[in-house]
Amino acid sequence: MREKLESLGLDLPLLPTTTVGSFPKPREVMEARQKLLAGKLTKKDLRPLEEQATRFWIKTQEEIGIDVLVDGEMYRGDMATYFAENLDGFKISGLVRSYGNRYYRKPIISGKVKWRGPITVDWWKFAQSLTKKPVKGMLTGPYTMMDWSFNEYYPNRREACLDMARALHEEVKALADAGAKIIQVDEPALSARSEELDDFIIKALDIVTKGVGAYFITHSCYGAFEFIYPDMLKLPVDNFDLEMSNSELDLVEIFRRHPFTKDISFGVVDVHSHVIEDVETVKKRIKRALEVLKPEQLWVDPDCGLKTRTREEAIGKLRAMVGAAEEVRKSLSEK
Amino acid sequence: MELITASAGSYPRIGTAPEKQRLRAEYARLDRGEISKEDFARVQDEVTKEVIEEQRRAGIELATDGQVRWYDQISHFARKLDGCEINGLLRLFDTNFYFRQPVIKGNVRWAAPIVVGEFKFAKKVSPIPIKPVVTGPYTLARHSIDKHYHDFSSLVADFVVAIGKEVNALAKAGAEVIQLDEPSILKNPQEFKIFESAVGEVSKNKGKARLALYTYFGDAAKLYDKLQSLPIDILGLDFSYSQKLAAVIEGMGSEKELGLGLVDGRNTRIENVKETAKVVAKILKKLDVDRVYLNPSCGLDEYLPREVAFEKLKNLVAIAKQVRAEMK
Ligand SMILES: [Zn+2]
Repeated sequence: MREKLESLGLDLPLLPTTTVGSFPKPREVMEARQKLLAGKLTKKDLRPLEEQATRFWIKTQEEIGIDVLVDGEMYRGDMATYFAENLDGFKISGLVRSYGNRYYRKPIISGKVKWRGPITVDWWKFAQSLTKKPVKGMLTGPYTMMDWSFNEYYPNRREACLDMARALHEEVKALADAGAKIIQVDEPALSARSEELDDFIIKALDIVTKGVGAYFITHSCYGAFEFIYPDMLKLPVDNFDLEMSNSELDLVEIFRRHPFTKDISFGVVDVHSHVIEDVETVKKRIKRALEVLKPEQLWVDPDCGLKTRTREEAIGKLRAMVGAAEEVRKSLSEK
Repeated sequence: MELITASAGSYPRIGTAPEKQRLRAEYARLDRGEISKEDFARVQDEVTKEVIEEQRRAGIELATDGQVRWYDQISHFARKLDGCEINGLLRLFDTNFYFRQPVIKGNVRWAAPIVVGEFKFAKKVSPIPIKPVVTGPYTLARHSIDKHYHDFSSLVADFVVAIGKEVNALAKAGAEVIQLDEPSILKNPQEFKIFESAVGEVSKNKGKARLALYTYFGDAAKLYDKLQSLPIDILGLDFSYSQKLAAVIEGMGSEKELGLGLVDGRNTRIENVKETAKVVAKILKKLDVDRVYLNPSCGLDEYLPREVAFEKLKNLVAIAKQVRAEMK
């Protein structure tokens, strides 16, 4: 897909480095969000703190040497809830456990889902104004939005998902109109029910991306990809961003049997471990990927969002990742 | 025939109201080293009492301890078995919940009781009967990474011995009904032979207890006749994945007592009492067993907010009441 990137005017090195989306929020933002929940602050009060934190992460990504940046999602709580709050048709539930001591508020579809205006566009514009490097537009995909919501309105999952896709198509258009050239549609739930891939997930992603001239990435994680691979290659996106290191790189074996035909953002650092990988470990993972993928197909990134790590852990992991990518890149050009 | 209202597993351990979030706050303090494991265990005890009391207040007749101490239903067992290490997070079936995956590095062996202490505590503090829940050997094996046996049936066989010992210990501790969770078989019907012998072996350890095999997160309609052939006393079924299940049961009847999972444990939509009662009554008319259990389709922690879980159980009790009225 190098041609598509070039035709969009994107000049990226071999093995572009990027991140999945979220970074840890600084204490000021966390505390202010708590106060907002308690009604002691307004969203307006929060904004300058979120902007300051976004500036920090853009600068940090540039310093580390990452090629394709993200805004860091300083303004988001949960990835599904944030969109649910900004779309018509949703209520928000009480707390539900996701793992260990982590809880989230789950959206409830209680009416027809509709787009009522741009959700992420302002933040994308703000982040892009701070850097010359491309910043990805980011949204949570229709299947994950449906799967991660309670459904009290639609008769079945398919109809909920397709209406969700129609609403998100508007958001994607708005991002592209604002100038976003790389748009990531997060679908961590992708492999939830394999029979639904052909049933309606491909159709939903088609609705989301149709007619929009951007390079599309879809991120997925914690999946049982073996059940939807290679069928998932039918999804109308250019790049799959997959968690690899946390699943011990089992997918590499699967790619050996069925070659991967699209670009891939290959997760090389584990976001659920406090341990900061060293450059050698990450290099090994990249080389493992290159056993079954062409260098032109390969992007390098963490398994998932880094928001649950400390700032130091996140930065340490990204430095190891960029260091490793640079070394492998060098050894490839010497060949 | 007796219709008994029951829980099917976990119950949310925290609520949305700040005063219901004690366990979460204390967990964070434990993580930061501000309280000891013993302090935290005391909080877990108190929350266990609370969730049993909530089930009783909703009108549930056969409760669980809510699984308040479990990290998840897989690693809670694997952690305490020899031969297992605990790996990264993986999505549990098609839920939004993540469990830690066991890695098998040596022979799987039962070293000490796993949930017996929890059961004894719950039994002691509960005014209503408590049903302990054990994750089954097949489901445990299916959720593990095997780096030791390199042969699935050998792995299952050792999980069978280990879980059999746990079931035996629970029976000795006075459990009248023991729930064995085996959701994985619904997704892997081609492995029924391995599954059948696993359940058969575990069943030999049940002593005086009655064994309740619970399946969920999949369509049980096509496996229904095979499930009926297992040496179990109660068969738990999830109706939320299957349009045909009710009709299949009506057509074939049941040799076993049934656990009817007709209240969706994963959606906040509250079932219509009259409609659901009609479905239950229609099934009951075709059955000739001593007891039938009405329960949620699955455990409720991980899938519903606490407040909705309570409403769901209250509604389940209302459905049972309606069924009893209709059956008179
Ligand atoms: Zn992810």
